Amino acid sequence: MAIQRAQPNQSEQPDRWEAQLRKGALEMAALASLWQGRLYGLEIIRFLENHSQLALAEGTIYPILNRLKTEGLLTSEWVEAEAGHPRKYYSLTDAGRLRLRQMAEAWTSFSGGLSRLLEPVFAMKENHQ
Amino acid sequence: MTAETQIDSYLTALRLHLGPLTIAEREEIVREIDAHVRDSAEESGASVESVLARLGSAEELAAQYRDGLLIRKASRSFSPLLLLRAALRLATKSIFGIFVFFCGVFGYSFGAGFVIVALAKTIVPSHTGAWVQDGQVVSAGAFIYGVSPMAHEVLGLWIIPLGLIAGSFTLLLTTFLIRTSMQVSQRLQSRL
Repeated sequence: MAIQRAQPNQSEQPDRWEAQLRKGALEMAALASLWQGRLYGLEIIRFLENHSQLALAEGTIYPILNRLKTEGLLTSEWVEAEAGHPRKYYSLTDAGRLRLRQMAEAWTSFSGGLSRLLEPVFAMKENHQ
Repeated sequence: MTAETQIDSYLTALRLHLGPLTIAEREEIVREIDAHVRDSAEESGASVESVLARLGSAEELAAQYRDGLLIRKASRSFSPLLLLRAALRLATKSIFGIFVFFCGVFGYSFGAGFVIVALAKTIVPSHTGAWVQDGQVVSAGAFIYGVSPMAHEVLGLWIIPLGLIAGSFTLLLTTFLIRTSMQVSQRLQSRL
């Protein structure tokens, strides 16, 4: 803690890094939320909030969904709802399922490798305390 | 302002900033955001104002859609103008983008230079070429005032095919490099 206080400027850097990390993972998270079936935008946002710590600026998810759709990973359909206006539901295409599986594998091996790499860092922290 | 007029003015601003998209794309986005605002306000009991605040400004939201479109188009395009515009957009976001933009400007200028020299040979042949003096190249290209009379020209008409080949190669390489960078940046969406 003493070290952190001595260098207050450095604490901003990891925040920005963390924000980029979250944003980078968002594409995979959005695909993953649709694994079990179609959802509309707000449901995807709620799903991500409930199942992960991906608290996100709500505006970021819609452009990402739009891009995933143009890449052919998602399809969308407008469905009439009781709310009085239709909702745009997204679902995974076959290409989307395949891509998500590849991403999940890459992610798991990547984060596993990094965790092993970081083990000494956590061990060091305990030694210092 | 009532909730309705707040939503309306947000969507009007969004429509305005989504300008470059097709009408169909634009209306679909506006319709989706409209549904989001209504559902979100109703579901959480939050005010329309706070729901709109969570979405971010209409301008920022539209910019995210537009960036995606520009970079997607550029990654499939051969137009130097479109490619440089996308690179410039990328340059406002990351160091990588600045690098790509300057490589682009440099590559296109160089490529165009070669082609211009080749064309100049057909118009002002005596002022265009590569001149050698005492075994060293003293000047090469197209010159308004000509070069030192001591030097002699070595390439002759060969400068035309050479210029065209070097020019097209440089232009193609630049195009390819920017397009690849666009595709990479699409993968690294975190930067955009």
